Amino acid sequence: MARKFGMALGFLAAGMAGAAAQGWQPTKPIEFVVTSSPGGGTDNFTRMIQSIILKYKLIDQPIVVSNKGGGSGAEGYLVSKTSAGDPYKVIFGTNNAYLLPYVAKLGYKFSDLTPVAALALDEFLLWVKADAPYKTAKDYVEAVKAKPETYKMGGSQSKDTDQTLTSILSTATGAKFIYVPFQGGGAVGTQLAGGHINSHTNNPNESIGQWKAGQVRPLCVFSPTRLPAGPKVTETQGWADIPTCKESGIPVERFQMPRTVWLPAGTPAGAVQFYEGILKKVSETPEWQEYITRTVQTGQFLSGDSLKAFVANDDKLSREVFEREGWIVK
Amino acid sequence: MDGFSGLLHGFGVALTWYHVMLMVIGVLLGILVGVLPGLGAPNGVSLLLPLTFTMDPVSAIILLTSMYWGALFGGSTTSILFNIPGEPSSVATTFDGYPMAQNGRATEALSFAFLSAGFGAIVGVLLITALSGWVTQFALKFSSPEFFGVYFLAFASFVGLSGAPPLKAAVSIALGFSLAAVGMDSVSGSLRLTFGYDVLLAGISFLVAVIGLFGIGELILTIEDGLKLDGIRAKITPRDVLRTAAQMPKHWATLLRSSIVGCWMGITPGGPTAASFMSYGLAKRFSAYRANFGKGEPDGVIAPETADHSAGTSAMLPMMALGLPGSATAAVMLGGLMIWGLNPGPMLFVERPDFVWGLIASMYLGNVVAVVLVLATVPLFASILRIPFAIIGPLIVVVCFIGAYTIAGRPFDLWLALAFGILGYVFKKLDYPIAPLILAMVIGDKAEDAFRQSMIMSKGSLSIFWSNPLVTSLMLLGLVLLFWPLLGALRQRLRAARS
Amino acid sequence: MIARWQAELGMAAFLAVIGVITIIGAREYGVGWSPSGPEPGAFPFYMGIIVLLASLANALRALVAGLRPALWSEQAFLKPEQMRLVLGFTLPILGLVVASLMLGLYVGMALYLFGTLVLQNRYPVLKASLIALATPVLAYFLIERVFKVAMLKGPLEAWLGL
Repeated sequence: MARKFGMALGFLAAGMAGAAAQGWQPTKPIEFVVTSSPGGGTDNFTRMIQSIILKYKLIDQPIVVSNKGGGSGAEGYLVSKTSAGDPYKVIFGTNNAYLLPYVAKLGYKFSDLTPVAALALDEFLLWVKADAPYKTAKDYVEAVKAKPETYKMGGSQSKDTDQTLTSILSTATGAKFIYVPFQGGGAVGTQLAGGHINSHTNNPNESIGQWKAGQVRPLCVFSPTRLPAGPKVTETQGWADIPTCKESGIPVERFQMPRTVWLPAGTPAGAVQFYEGILKKVSETPEWQEYITRTVQTGQFLSGDSLKAFVANDDKLSREVFEREGWIVK
Repeated sequence: MDGFSGLLHGFGVALTWYHVMLMVIGVLLGILVGVLPGLGAPNGVSLLLPLTFTMDPVSAIILLTSMYWGALFGGSTTSILFNIPGEPSSVATTFDGYPMAQNGRATEALSFAFLSAGFGAIVGVLLITALSGWVTQFALKFSSPEFFGVYFLAFASFVGLSGAPPLKAAVSIALGFSLAAVGMDSVSGSLRLTFGYDVLLAGISFLVAVIGLFGIGELILTIEDGLKLDGIRAKITPRDVLRTAAQMPKHWATLLRSSIVGCWMGITPGGPTAASFMSYGLAKRFSAYRANFGKGEPDGVIAPETADHSAGTSAMLPMMALGLPGSATAAVMLGGLMIWGLNPGPMLFVERPDFVWGLIASMYLGNVVAVVLVLATVPLFASILRIPFAIIGPLIVVVCFIGAYTIAGRPFDLWLALAFGILGYVFKKLDYPIAPLILAMVIGDKAEDAFRQSMIMSKGSLSIFWSNPLVTSLMLLGLVLLFWPLLGALRQRLRAARS
Repeated sequence: MIARWQAELGMAAFLAVIGVITIIGAREYGVGWSPSGPEPGAFPFYMGIIVLLASLANALRALVAGLRPALWSEQAFLKPEQMRLVLGFTLPILGLVVASLMLGLYVGMALYLFGTLVLQNRYPVLKASLIALATPVLAYFLIERVFKVAMLKGPLEAWLGL
């Protein structure tokens, strides 16, 4: 009896809130679909957002997080197809949302997704072993060019961001690497620290521990500007001391991975606006800023047309690489 | 800070009422998660993760690791009582634990499992305490060829033991490897064996296979016998538990060997599941009662449990020191570490000794708390066996399907669980061995990846597998173990010829 | 009655088909040895071949045993009364899967429990209904409330707004 009464009150409250906000409001639990396994970068991203929403009570309804990381995340994006039009499935991912369908025969198309927002850009750096003789990225690339296909570049997964970046680097400089795919950034980092590979392009967050310990060393960052200055990571250097790759004479200006949020296609426009508003609020909290700083990502809120433009540009860039490498399936 | 003074400092951090309370809560939640098949430790830990964002990192990791210990213990409970492994790493515990329970020795089997698990865990932590510096240096020597060597070794020490017809064992192993290959291939990025079906995209979860092959398959077998399992009227008293404890020293050889296997697999890291299989295989190989294995031999419970827990605990070291998760649960904790603002790596030991040593100290305490709590639940769980089969049978079926669905939230897995259940039933009746199939599903993917990564590194030359002393000795040891049964037969023939 | 050799033959044939399917699937990606090691299809290809060949050998053995009524072939795989028991247990599970996929797991398990307890095990209706209702409710609170994992739901849950 009491429960029934409570439920009735809940409906009433939800109805009133909906009327007050003049827009779409959730009336049942929401599922956050994570396109990586527990512990992955996208998982951390999603759970961070979930905890901020909980803390500030931004959504009245409970949120359930489910990991669907199978097939490099394709399993999660497939939800957009199986739950078309369902505004209670929010999908969290990266740029593989629109890149995966190129390289694998999948049951969803990019058009099955409705873009909501991108909240951050993860950076890529070129790392070598700490005791390697190369002072700059240019030195290293020259060494690779002198002996093509002997230097090993590690990365996580195949036909994903790391291999794409390696391909871009090869085309831009003429340096030919052997690309070795591993399971994830952590494994790649250990392989470099142990001297089994010569370099990798990990995100800052994946290799900060080993940089601190003096096992690996960043040569340059694939970003148009240097990373923001923070506390020093090693005794002498901080993130801002790393030159951009362009400064170091490597003609690759920018390579960043957006952390993105999607809804299935056919969801009401009001729902898209609702989540966009929530995520905007999330991105303005001190907790979010703290997360961005700690993981050395670039905080940038993209939605609507700015997001569409970013996606179009990134899509074009990656597509060129995929075509050149012959990765596109059909 | 070296081992001993670090540890003392750590106990100072971990031994507060608040932290002991967190351990108790964590262990209890863990037992619950562990008992339910499908809802495993990685799930449980990731569900608690958001709650820890506002906690102090030391308290947070104590809560999460305690939950992990609880889940490891809980997983063995269902393995022994119902032949359904609550956790992937407790699959090998079913081989002898379940027969023991059926023979009316449930309390004994559970007590053996928990005590040896506790022993394994303590050995794992001791290793971390004493050798943290050296071990991390050692682990850095591992690259893809060495990983392949580790998997090869684990595989070689287990196969060839089942006593099943060789042709059927071959089918079982090859089928397991084929099933492991379904889905995204991480080396080439292509989708294999999916035939365009999206449901196969994420591969075939070996947990679903385990739930079907063991849980449902076993139920059908029970039904077929017309056995109205009216429950086992074993009286459970604390005396039984104590009596089992008194027997533990007799099994010192198994305990020691299994701890070494477990620590080895935790650090390299081959993972707790492979460790428990490998340890079971070795125990059987070296046992004087080889014929009793699979029929309820205590060593067959002690070996996998000890190895499972020493692997689970020692895997914390590569996680903290190298950022390399040795198990699925460690991967989730690694994510937690980053969220709490800690950077895994060798410097973690220097920068945050309170965290590292607090965690290590809590691992001693947490495992003791877990053994006590889980032993206290033995009578409760053993009493479930007394419920008539007419009720408990359908309830186990329901739990199996809930488990199959919660693993990944895929409706298709319900079909898979049913199919594997029927397959398991027929396999058992026709003497096809099931355990090698599971082991092949567990390590198949990783072993294949490691092999192909090695080939990419060496540009297709197999010589990489004897390119340095480490990988050479791994491969040699694996080959010796693989051909051990043959060698034994040869020796016997020689001896016969001589006399 | 199903004889042992018949069951052996059936299983071997089934596994041989699985082997063939694996081989066909693996051939899609190349099964050779490229300059950078085995191609993606190579490993499953050879595993498929092992399954196929070993199963053919097993089938042959079963046939030989079937033609020559020896000890092995006379063994029963399933006696009629066993068959009845096994089907009586397995078919309701099939029902559980189908019902769960259509109506959600909670409704599916309630129907399954009620059905097996009352129809098969002759439990009193009241007691069976209690178990059939209590189980999904307990499962709901444990799984969705405590552990916050989404369960397979159907029209009933949608109607209740859960």
